Amino acid sequence: MSKATKGGRRISRREFLGVATAGAGVAFLGACGGGGGQGGGGESYRLYLIVGVTGDEFYTTMECGAQAAAKELGADLKVQGPEEFSAAEQTPILNAAIQANPDAILIAATDVTAMIAPIQSAVNQDITVVLVDTTIKKEEIALAKVSSDNVLGGRQAGEALAKQIGEEGKVMVISVKPGISTTDQRKQGFEEAIEKYPNIQYLGTEYCNDDPTQAASITTSTLRSNPDLKGIFGANVFSGQGAGTGVRQTGKKDEVSVVAFDASPTQVEDLRRGNVDALIAQHPNDIGNTGVRIAVEYLKSEEEPAKKQITTGFTTATRENLDKPEVKKYLYKAEC
Amino acid sequence: MADTKTPQEESRVGRLRAIPGFGSAFIFVILAGLVVGFSIMEGTAFLSAENFLTVAVDASELLLLAVGVTFVIITAGIDLSVGSVLVLSSVIAAQTMVALSGTPEQVHSYKFPNQEVGIPLGIAAGLLIGLACGLINGLLVTKLKLTPFIATLGTLGIFLGTAEILSGGTNVPYVPTAVQSVIGTRNLLGFLPVPIAIGMVVVILAILALHLTQFGRYTYAIGSNAEAARRVGIDVERHLLKVYTLSGFLAGLAGVIDLARFNTASVGAHTLDNLAAISAVVIGGTSLFGGIGTIVGSVVGTFIPAVLRNGFVIAGVQPFWQEIAIGIVLILAVFIDQRRRSAEERM
Repeated sequence: MSKATKGGRRISRREFLGVATAGAGVAFLGACGGGGGQGGGGESYRLYLIVGVTGDEFYTTMECGAQAAAKELGADLKVQGPEEFSAAEQTPILNAAIQANPDAILIAATDVTAMIAPIQSAVNQDITVVLVDTTIKKEEIALAKVSSDNVLGGRQAGEALAKQIGEEGKVMVISVKPGISTTDQRKQGFEEAIEKYPNIQYLGTEYCNDDPTQAASITTSTLRSNPDLKGIFGANVFSGQGAGTGVRQTGKKDEVSVVAFDASPTQVEDLRRGNVDALIAQHPNDIGNTGVRIAVEYLKSEEEPAKKQITTGFTTATRENLDKPEVKKYLYKAEC
Repeated sequence: MADTKTPQEESRVGRLRAIPGFGSAFIFVILAGLVVGFSIMEGTAFLSAENFLTVAVDASELLLLAVGVTFVIITAGIDLSVGSVLVLSSVIAAQTMVALSGTPEQVHSYKFPNQEVGIPLGIAAGLLIGLACGLINGLLVTKLKLTPFIATLGTLGIFLGTAEILSGGTNVPYVPTAVQSVIGTRNLLGFLPVPIAIGMVVVILAILALHLTQFGRYTYAIGSNAEAARRVGIDVERHLLKVYTLSGFLAGLAGVIDLARFNTASVGAHTLDNLAAISAVVIGGTSLFGGIGTIVGSVVGTFIPAVLRNGFVIAGVQPFWQEIAIGIVLILAVFIDQRRRSAEERM
């Protein structure tokens, strides 16, 4: 009887406890997930690093490099990122970071056009912005840009793939999605390199939307329609991983050469097993490290850096040189 | 029997519940709790008009999708294609603007002599496409008698694929920047961003439509019992057609706003918007079985994840923990709300 008349505005004890627990849980997560540096000493600069997408070992390695530099320089660095590599997902995160009023924001922009407005609003609020990895069309609004020379990297990949397939045969590119400065430049560099080989037939570029499963199915279906496909260039971590998986699935790893950009642990495993033949590893650790240094240097000295566009290098990893220390240190990490 | 009410208390509660949207009061309490919690933790970084405005602007597109989907779900249907309609509308709007604002040479050098014609026509095109997509969904559900889940799952792919074909898979470049400065990032009266203003107008109109018009009554009726509605003389098919068209139109509007905010049509994004919109609607208290739901609930349901994400980023919570926390809060919020609902219904 009493249950039946309960349907008013009164909240039962159980429900109250439920809400209180949820609230406490949220508060607890906020407190412990927030890490240290919550209003610490007056000297230390507060920085935010907003990556392109979480869970991508390229960005994880960048985070490691950035954290190392922050620790050395006594700055407080918080890292955030969207679940999906898209401007619609990254913008709310950037906006929230702006609200936290840091001294500087390092950001890997997820779209060359769409992120201009949100980044401009950070600049308008006197927050120093450093572009890391990907860039926007209006680069000049930021303090500096640190990235790999992706056109050069693409060319390197093109040369490597050409060598692998004996300079003849059909090749294709699997990339993320158009509109991302870095992968577009790699594709451009690759195409430039490939053009020099008259016997190499370029089938074009397919986009996997940063999903390795999609990259794998693109690979397997292209191999079905072009059984004489000899080479694939995967333009980033997930594209490369997916291409390797696809090649493995069709059992064609001896006939198809795959050159992939980036060197995540899965890709390195693929390299060892022969699903992939060469990896063009960027130096994201250096990108993160340099980005933090430039930001802190500017915050301290208020002088603009002499070089506003810094490019970092590449290391080509093959099965043969994989374990040499000078190559090993550039392989990406899944955690710092 | 401490719980029995006097007749006066009963009628007071009854009158409260008669206010449109009050049934979702508890979800609002949760949202308020989150706001208070984050304000205590982060102070003025979180609790500021500027922060709330940016959260609202970032949530403005999802809000439109959620409002449209609310109508659909109340009829016991579903619309999975809203994200794709958004993308297709923004692509067509963008391409129309680019095509009509100047010759290719002019446009490629960022000059837009005819943008006063190009931009409004582009917006109109985007809205029309949204309308058309909604109409297609409605026809598939009413004429071909497909279940809404299947129908909109199919159109999800068809609309997105069409957008990708039209745009070549790339984000549409050379969109006149006036779209962004006049609509996307402009503040009315000095402080109210245009996307929020549009969202507010839509929400108010939707509340009026759902709770005070025959259109709204028919929506609830069909959701509660489609057969009974038919026998009472309601043209169920015609009404469903209108409901799906409305959902498509609002998705088209969201697409235009997306174009205005980012100055490009983002073809690769919005893949999970349908799930986010449906989650928002369900958190807000709308039943997937139809017949129950409010616009206010959907508004609150849109803001709960948005506030959570915003608060967590300001607090510096590691991104992966954020997802866990959001999932837990969602489950708790809906669970508690449903328990109150079933307790109410047992009367």
